[in-house]
Amino acid sequence: MHRRSVFDQVFAVETAIALAVFVIVLGLLVFAVVRRRARAGLFVSRRREWKPVELCYAGALAAVAAGLVIYTALANREQGRENDRPVDLRVEVSAFQWCWEFAHPDPAGGPEDEPVTARATCRGDDLPTLVVPTGRNIRLELDSRDVIHSFWVPELRYKLDAFPGHRNEFTVRFDREGRWIGHCAEFCGHRHHTMDFWVRAVSPEEYDAWLLDAQTGQDIPAETA
Amino acid sequence: MTLTAPGRDRDRGRAPGGRPPSRYPSGRRLLLSTDHKRIGLLVLGTSLALLFLLGVLALLMRAQLARPESGFLDSAVYNQFFTIHGSGMIYLVMTPFAIGLGVYLVPLQVGAPNIALPRTTLLGYWLYATGAVIMLAGFATPHGAHAAGWFSYPPLADGRYSPGPGSDMWVAGVFLSTAGVILMGWAVLWTALRKRAEGMTMLRMPLFSWSMVATCLMVIGAFPALLAALVLLGIGRADPSVFDSNLWIIGYQHLFWFYGHPVVYVMFFPYLAAVGEVLATFARRPFFGFRLTVLSLLVFAGLSMSVWGHHMFTTGQATNDYYSLTSIALLVPAGIEYFAMLGTILGGALVFRPPMLFALAFIPQFLIGGLTGIMVGTPVIDYQAHDSYFVVAHLHYVLFAGSAFGLFAAFYFWFPKVTGAMLDDRLSHVHFWLLVAGTNLTFLPMFFLGLQGMSRRIVSYAEFDGFGTLNLLASIGAGLLAVAMLVFVYNVWTSLRWPRPAGDDPWQGQTLEWATSSPPPRLNYTPEHPLPPITSYAPLYDLRRTEDGRAH
Ligand SMILES: [Cu+2]
Repeated sequence: MHRRSVFDQVFAVETAIALAVFVIVLGLLVFAVVRRRARAGLFVSRRREWKPVELCYAGALAAVAAGLVIYTALANREQGRENDRPVDLRVEVSAFQWCWEFAHPDPAGGPEDEPVTARATCRGDDLPTLVVPTGRNIRLELDSRDVIHSFWVPELRYKLDAFPGHRNEFTVRFDREGRWIGHCAEFCGHRHHTMDFWVRAVSPEEYDAWLLDAQTGQDIPAETA
Repeated sequence: MTLTAPGRDRDRGRAPGGRPPSRYPSGRRLLLSTDHKRIGLLVLGTSLALLFLLGVLALLMRAQLARPESGFLDSAVYNQFFTIHGSGMIYLVMTPFAIGLGVYLVPLQVGAPNIALPRTTLLGYWLYATGAVIMLAGFATPHGAHAAGWFSYPPLADGRYSPGPGSDMWVAGVFLSTAGVILMGWAVLWTALRKRAEGMTMLRMPLFSWSMVATCLMVIGAFPALLAALVLLGIGRADPSVFDSNLWIIGYQHLFWFYGHPVVYVMFFPYLAAVGEVLATFARRPFFGFRLTVLSLLVFAGLSMSVWGHHMFTTGQATNDYYSLTSIALLVPAGIEYFAMLGTILGGALVFRPPMLFALAFIPQFLIGGLTGIMVGTPVIDYQAHDSYFVVAHLHYVLFAGSAFGLFAAFYFWFPKVTGAMLDDRLSHVHFWLLVAGTNLTFLPMFFLGLQGMSRRIVSYAEFDGFGTLNLLASIGAGLLAVAMLVFVYNVWTSLRWPRPAGDDPWQGQTLEWATSSPPPRLNYTPEHPLPPITSYAPLYDLRRTEDGRAH
């Protein structure tokens, strides 16, 4: 949930800047509306430009922009560092019209085993669940079987598109146990709005036990997850 | 088509055959006239009519979203509605209206008797109108209209996943109307560059005409990329195997957004500049910071063609740092424009007529769109905000709370010039306040919905998502907007039915068009309404000042 903390920080900074700018502009606007009415009979400026002030101001804007570019680029890099961590386990996420499958390809038993795959229909409450252990670096490999979808877990503050014929990957580590909703964010057709899923983070022990159970039972319906 | 020298244009400034220009042109003459004012009226009227039609689609969508798990609209219908609402508002309303303002006003503002390339302009209008009809006729086909969103990414929009003639018609319709807009863009640009009256140097062109120069440069530079994207999509509709390759899938996105970001500024500059003219006029002073604002528009136009990838951060296939840099750099020209607008009103003496109200509201409302635009241009934030209601809120603050308010400022400002009649002040105020309340009630909650995890383009959401209250607020706001627009229509209708004469210059305008009659004669300036001396970008202001000087 490293991405989330970086997001929270950058979002707070940019919101503060935005609010400050908004308050200043609104303040000047209200001032003009209240104090610069024609009826007041004030002196009206005939000035068409004020070059030194305008140029200084443009320079200041450029400095702010440069600062913001550097700050956000560093934040983006910091967020991406999660991708460089050594991967503990992989999960293949397949998106399709209109649901998800989560395949855990190397369960404890070794490579000869069948992958454990969570499936569902995405109709009503039948949503697939991505089960993950906390504290481990999980590599999610996104793929689509038809059109473009987008894997979005709002709680993580992150989404990544799932393309047909192109694999997108990212690494994520869950710091705490819990269950969160995920959505498809990229419009993908008729039942786009039902393409939801759960993410359930459990302790590593619980995860291993779940995987073992699931292996003996092959495909697992959502309720057991 | 011949280009005439500015000097000769002025001598020809008489209605041909001595026949007095008719105030309300008959149907056939209106439809086939090569007078830029009539073509302009056709464009403006068509896009305004479509604004209402497509607004009704939005209203129906808001009705569906007011409550969780609502069954008012079926998914198939809803998907057609948001596609046609979004693509219609962009391709058929805000863009053509912006160009239409240019077609009507630029020749007047630069003192030309007509637009350059009048027949090309007329052809442009007909292409646009034909495209609009074809796109909307999709609703009449068995599968219904196109339903893959205004950017229609393949493979979803290709022949495999969006079969049906409605989608083919959408591709054809967007292609034709965009081609028409490009033709009109050339004509407006050529008018500003080559048809200026004597004494009208480039830097004496009013702000609005300058904004059209920057706008048309983007139209010419970036819109062909949309045509190319549509050709690619058309090929993919005939042979979907094209999009088996990721190269063409992602290639489409690059082509599309190369057009898709400049178009945002095409739907912004003319309205921003209209607001600037209104602010100056009703602050009773010339626009402050004119030259730097003009420069910033040109810089903006150049930068706009370098930021497209910021729509693609979540594809995992874009160079984040570069696109983030160019996107954030846009705050420099935008900040300069705000400085100029605020400087203009801070040193002025403000008169609160209806156009001024819309122009003043534009300032903080567009700012919300701009500031959240910097946010979504930041990759770290975009990963959360992209394709969520945060983006829906952002783009509606830009296009509705911003540009549409500029559109109304322009409408109220130039309506007396175009029709010769005044609108009712009281009704205009009602329209304005309802519109302000409705706009913010509708779109402000959407920021929070997006941050809470509501995806865009969903026909319904679950009870447990917890989006109910904010969506209900947004839908109530949409109802206010509908009432506001009815007031507007009533105001326009009664003002045309029982006109109160406006006179040539009801606002103490500053630019040339206010020196001629309302509506202007066939060739814009006549011996009875000659061009005044063109001394700056605010020639009528200068004239009033010298007259005041003599009187004292
Ligand atoms: Cu999807």
